[in-house]
Amino acid sequence: MSTSRARTRLLTGGATAVVAVAALLLAGCSSSGGATGGSSSSSGSAGSTSAASTGESGSGTSGSGGGITVWVDAPRVPAVQAFEKAHPEIPVKMVQNDGTIGGQSTKQAFANFDAAGSGWPDAIFFTSNDDIAWATSSQSNYAANLSAVPELADVIKGYDPATISFCNIGGQIRCLRNDAAPDVFWYDAKFFKDNNYTVPKSWEDYFTLAIKIAKDHPGKISGFLGDAYAVNRYLQAANCPTNSPKSETEVVLNPQNPNCTKMGQLLDQAYQAKALSPLGVFDADAVKASTNLVMTPGALWYGSYLLQATWKVPAGNWTASDPLTWDGKPSMGDEGGGLWGMSSHVTGKEKENTITFMKFVATDPAWQVDLSTGLPAYGPDQDPWLAKFGTDGYYSNLDQLKAAFKSSLAAVAPYQYMLYDTGNVWTQTIPTTLTSGGTMSAALAKFFSTLTDQAKSIGYTVSAG
Amino acid sequence: MTATTTLPAEAPAGRPRERRRRLSSRETVGGWLLSGPYILLFLAAAAIPIVFAIWKSLQKPSTILRPQGGFGGLDAYKSAVTDYRFWDTFKNIGIVMAVWLPIMLIGVIGLALLIHASPGRFGSVMRFVYYIPGALSGIANFMLWVYLINPSISPISGLWTTLGETTIKDATNPFNVPFILAAMLFFQGVGTWVVIVNGGLNGLPEEVFEAGSLDGANAWQVAWHVKLPMIRPWIGYAALMNIAYGFQLFMEPYLLQQVSAGAMQTEYTPTQLTFAFAFTNRNLPAAAAMSVILLVVTLVIGVLTVFRSGLFGEKDAR
Repeated sequence: MSTSRARTRLLTGGATAVVAVAALLLAGCSSSGGATGGSSSSSGSAGSTSAASTGESGSGTSGSGGGITVWVDAPRVPAVQAFEKAHPEIPVKMVQNDGTIGGQSTKQAFANFDAAGSGWPDAIFFTSNDDIAWATSSQSNYAANLSAVPELADVIKGYDPATISFCNIGGQIRCLRNDAAPDVFWYDAKFFKDNNYTVPKSWEDYFTLAIKIAKDHPGKISGFLGDAYAVNRYLQAANCPTNSPKSETEVVLNPQNPNCTKMGQLLDQAYQAKALSPLGVFDADAVKASTNLVMTPGALWYGSYLLQATWKVPAGNWTASDPLTWDGKPSMGDEGGGLWGMSSHVTGKEKENTITFMKFVATDPAWQVDLSTGLPAYGPDQDPWLAKFGTDGYYSNLDQLKAAFKSSLAAVAPYQYMLYDTGNVWTQTIPTTLTSGGTMSAALAKFFSTLTDQAKSIGYTVSAG
Repeated sequence: MTATTTLPAEAPAGRPRERRRRLSSRETVGGWLLSGPYILLFLAAAAIPIVFAIWKSLQKPSTILRPQGGFGGLDAYKSAVTDYRFWDTFKNIGIVMAVWLPIMLIGVIGLALLIHASPGRFGSVMRFVYYIPGALSGIANFMLWVYLINPSISPISGLWTTLGETTIKDATNPFNVPFILAAMLFFQGVGTWVVIVNGGLNGLPEEVFEAGSLDGANAWQVAWHVKLPMIRPWIGYAALMNIAYGFQLFMEPYLLQQVSAGAMQTEYTPTQLTFAFAFTNRNLPAAAAMSVILLVVTLVIGVLTVFRSGLFGEKDAR
């Protein structure tokens, strides 16, 4: 009897303990072990503060009133303000979302909206260009097919097909490109002249010169390797397939592809010669490192955004030249050049107003020519924007630079945004391996294996070619 | 001795049990009334989500690319466990906790005993001083760390230079991250726990310490041989809550990843992997499976901690 009672007591005691422990652990979840006031539950919402606020006001899909909700990152706030000025009759609710490239909060918010079936903004400036992949997936289907919107037909015609190719998903235009961001070849013309260096024409020339400069002038660097765009700057330019879908569910990833191995070797040699920095262009530490930068492939916006505004490189030295050649053909990467998406869920008067908004932000000179820092992707805005560009005398040899801008538009190597985040995998593998003493080829091997793992984790079938 | 203690409890079998039954019927109502609000909250915030997670985790794992539904048995668990990041996240969290928990517990107990041993104004001032970092909100605290770990602006840049780290990318290399996280967690949490454990010490009867002193024990011996065993349940509580927090680590590595210019793994901890399953892959069954796995792991560790520390006053636990 006493044993059975003891067993009962032990059982109830044990059960109580389990429940109590569960309760304590969950309390630990909400009060974070009494320690910091933030844990998984609160940080989950930290990622979606903007989402929550829009969720409440997601009147956009209700079809009444005509007010629209738009999500933009910080640099695109002036676009919305210009729209409000030009169209005071349309009430706009602007939500500023996390603009970190590769940031996850937008993805999280939209996964929730798609699950709930409401709450989407009527239009969005996608945080990362990769976002267009999930936004057009059959499960989300957030981004409307703009080819089916008659009011936007002329707008779409105004784009060079190469420039809007990122929005062309299976023959449908699913977004409008804000700015074109092809890479050109940036260099310090004064340094080149002082040292009698010739501007490289091909990728091989560039790496050879980079190694020579690192030898002649120890400490001088010819590029950055550690940011999410470095994958575009180097691998995309070399036609090394990282983002090459074969079908909707099949992708080609092959580190043994001759283009990948060749670019890999060039990068490896240049990094060993200390010609390239493991930092990324957006790193705070790059400001200091940029004083040693003498040349780099880089997007059009490097000039105003990085050289002039962020790195504060002295005026009058830098210019850009034509795209470098790979296998004899001009071939460069593309770094961003943001995408505007319109909700497929919006109806009625709001749809009409959202279309007006899309048209404005993609084409209107009040934003694209007067305010936007990037070369407008919309063709007719390009010349007026170029006419204004560089009038402050910041650049050396402005005519050559403008010609390079124009010729770069056609030199962008093919690239499709995927459901995996190539740039994010790059920043997690390449700089980490390099700063802990690894070689560039070891870093690239790690990059490809992680990218393959991530592609498979999302459900892609990976093939070698 | 044992006979005298056990026999009276067994011998008068009839009456006490009757009284217990009568009392229990009256107490039952009161008990339910008092615990009612808690049970409701427990159902809403714990039991129902757990049941939902278990139900969800038994569905077929689907991704944004290959959506599918229906009962999938343990497939979602398979897809979570076979993910290339799964073991790494547990390894990472294991390293972080191996560094952090001992420092945390020793720090908490040591500081609490010190405060308790220095009564009066000095003790209470120090208690308040220790509490300050924990009282600052998480984000403000985090901004402080962003400065501390960035070698180019850090007040401890000398330390970073000695270690050979010159940029934030260097400083947040995989070897350093567990130490950075441990330091962040320690300074955020230690004050609060010193206050709690100190509360436990304050509840102990003074006579016991006096008796110890009269027997010739010095302050150190009183602390080690008298106070420490008596606050064991509080230490157990601190260990339990901190282990629970450790397994749910999310915000700190999430923000650290962003300030490290992306150099740190995006899925460093199990909860971050859960987040990626849910929102990048849109594989909710796998995310649910991860949360069930985490629940089981923390529950097992929790139950062990409870029985080892006598947290619920279980005498036979020791």
